[in-house]
Amino acid sequence: MRHNFIDRYANLDSPLHVLEARTKILGYLSLIAALLLMPGRNDVVLLVYAFVAAILVGASQVPLGYIAGRSLVILPFVLLAGIAAPWTNSFDGARFMALATRSFLSVTILLLMTSTTPFPELLRGLQKLGCPRILILNLGFLYRYLFVLTEEVLRMRQARDCRRAGRAPPRVELKLLGSMLGSLVLRSFERAERMYQAMLSRGYAGEFPVLAPRRFTWRDLTFLAGIALLIVSSFRYAGR
Amino acid sequence: MHIPDGFLSGRIWLSLDALSSVTVLYAARRLRVQASGHTVPLMGVLSAFVFAAQLLNFPVLGGTSGHLVGSALLAVLLGPLAAFLTMVTVLIAQALFLQDGGLAALGANIFNIAAVPVLSGYGIFRLAGGTQSHGRRLAIASFLSGWVSIELCALCCALELSLSGAIPLRVGLPAMTGYHAILGVAEGILTSSVLVFLSHTRPDLIRRGAGSRLPVADWVAVVALVAVPCAILVLAGSSNLPDPLQRLLASADPVYGRQGESEPFLSPLRYREFLRALTLIAGAIGSAYFLGRLMRGKRSKL
Amino acid sequence: MTEYAIRITRLSYSYPDGTKALEDVDLDVRVGERVALVGPSGAGKSTLLLHLNGVLSGKGMIRVMGKPLGDTALREIRRHVGLVFQNPDDQLFCPTVFEDVAFGPLNLSISPQEIPHRVERALRDVGLDQSIRNRPSHHLSHGERKRVALASVLIMEPDILALDEPSSNLDPRNRRHLIELVASLPSTLVLATHDLGMVMALCPRTALMDRGKIWADGETRRILADARLMEEHGLEVP
Repeated sequence: MRHNFIDRYANLDSPLHVLEARTKILGYLSLIAALLLMPGRNDVVLLVYAFVAAILVGASQVPLGYIAGRSLVILPFVLLAGIAAPWTNSFDGARFMALATRSFLSVTILLLMTSTTPFPELLRGLQKLGCPRILILNLGFLYRYLFVLTEEVLRMRQARDCRRAGRAPPRVELKLLGSMLGSLVLRSFERAERMYQAMLSRGYAGEFPVLAPRRFTWRDLTFLAGIALLIVSSFRYAGR
Repeated sequence: MHIPDGFLSGRIWLSLDALSSVTVLYAARRLRVQASGHTVPLMGVLSAFVFAAQLLNFPVLGGTSGHLVGSALLAVLLGPLAAFLTMVTVLIAQALFLQDGGLAALGANIFNIAAVPVLSGYGIFRLAGGTQSHGRRLAIASFLSGWVSIELCALCCALELSLSGAIPLRVGLPAMTGYHAILGVAEGILTSSVLVFLSHTRPDLIRRGAGSRLPVADWVAVVALVAVPCAILVLAGSSNLPDPLQRLLASADPVYGRQGESEPFLSPLRYREFLRALTLIAGAIGSAYFLGRLMRGKRSKL
Repeated sequence: MTEYAIRITRLSYSYPDGTKALEDVDLDVRVGERVALVGPSGAGKSTLLLHLNGVLSGKGMIRVMGKPLGDTALREIRRHVGLVFQNPDDQLFCPTVFEDVAFGPLNLSISPQEIPHRVERALRDVGLDQSIRNRPSHHLSHGERKRVALASVLIMEPDILALDEPSSNLDPRNRRHLIELVASLPSTLVLATHDLGMVMALCPRTALMDRGKIWADGETRRILADARLMEEHGLEVP
């Protein structure tokens, strides 16, 4: 099974990959916030952000098809908003387009962040930025065991598909799924027990040790300064 | 159900982000006091479980498919605090790994999918007496907690979207709650079949999680959690606010704010200009992309 | 007194649901000795190993390096006894290999500057490339994960190494590497396994366990050649 659907492109070599995780979290987060909070419906500003996003996507060396495919997740909401549009008091195609553009750009920026940073580094960055320890630990465990559990799920699904022909009626289908999930929960509990034993065996005493993060370099400062410049000037322009 | 970025207005996502971060910090702090040693790996593995379980789809109406959400199930297995934080972990992971739900909208999604369903699922499970009983009673209690948790989740989602002006309540409410009433049945059946299965194999697991009571301090926090956003939303929705506050709210609102300031550049009603602009834009964005790609060439030669 | 690395006297243990896992087990292991625990699945081998560093505590007396196992000495004991679990997925729970290998030393409050060197040495000792350290464990092959699990224990420089089914699911080449690696280690060894070939290659002494009891304890050659004894306990003469 392919294991890399999470940080598939995270180990490429590009100007964005060498940045420190905190830089990217802060930079992209403020970019998204600025994009969403931009007052008015200034299309020129939206275009500038699209332009910047395009440069960043290009610089990241992440394939375009990947970004395009992944950003389709916003589609159901765009469709719902589109269907709902005639019911709003003032139907406004431009407003709808601005909404879809903002949403699409946000997803692209989010994709840029996750596909240029290995997840463990992202975690270390989040931790340094004050995210609660328990969430960081949980995310680390999730990342580690996601694949172990996914493989179990896929094996169970194969076993299920082998034993039946075609789709069963929904009731039966759900019942099957329920017992599969039940045994999966049970296995998870047992695994947690063994993990805890393994942790104790290596001297765990209630606190997870912390590793030192990477240092900021001039590259990080340049990146952040560029983003700050963009945000400030776009707000000044839009607020005119 | 995971709201992406761009559909919520500034005042909604900002206030829900603030609210959710406070709740998460509070829960993390409380959990550190209450949790026993092996809760940490258990939460971790169960968050991976929920993530993986969502890969198991079942068919719903018209070619769409649904999957387990798991908030109510976790609430029963882990108790409300740990279940809440576990769901928060899952939501962060879904936003980062699958782009399911936006980054700015994370607070809203935490409120809709973690806070509200975990608390309601837990409350209903206890009220219906799921902890004391086996068999039928347990099945009914867990079915109800699963169904209600999903329905409330959809309700919150529809409310936020309409308050943001993205999808009006007339369309959003029936669409969301109607569709999720069906998904909720599936969630209820799954929750109850998993819990009934566990009550046969490891009854101690259900006892342990659902038996963990929320202390009074946490109930106060819960009431505040529900009351504060409701107050904010109601206040924000009414127009009888003092003017400066009204203006402050409007300024954080890209959709409502500054209507009709300038003729929109991209109005689809002006087709020829629209087409010309579109080619121009596509060209500009395309060249920006290739400009970006060139940066690699330089770097790797160095 | 201290020539015994492990002394277990009349150890019994039952699971919370009442099933008996260990019954009056006696086992002494001298410093530097290599002992194999063989027996069918469910014989209680893993449960016994979990007692060696106090993760489980049953009735009876356990002394490790001369000190009795009690709550006070637990962290000290865990430094002496390195336990490698059967499934590396249970043992490796961190996002990256480096964090997993460094987990033990960081808990033992070894100075942070020294840790990268130690990790490097531990990975070299188990024959892994240094480039592996920043990779997530789930990207590794099963054999590599087994080695990382071993490295995460060796880095604590334990006096006693307890291995639970170290050769399970390994292909023949990885298994041979593992045997060579373990043979080169100076520490006292307790090896729980079905792999009788590995037992013959590594351990002069064997204890046969079944249903929570030790039925035979002595020279490996003699025990593994005793067809009647072996078949009685669900094993085969190799």
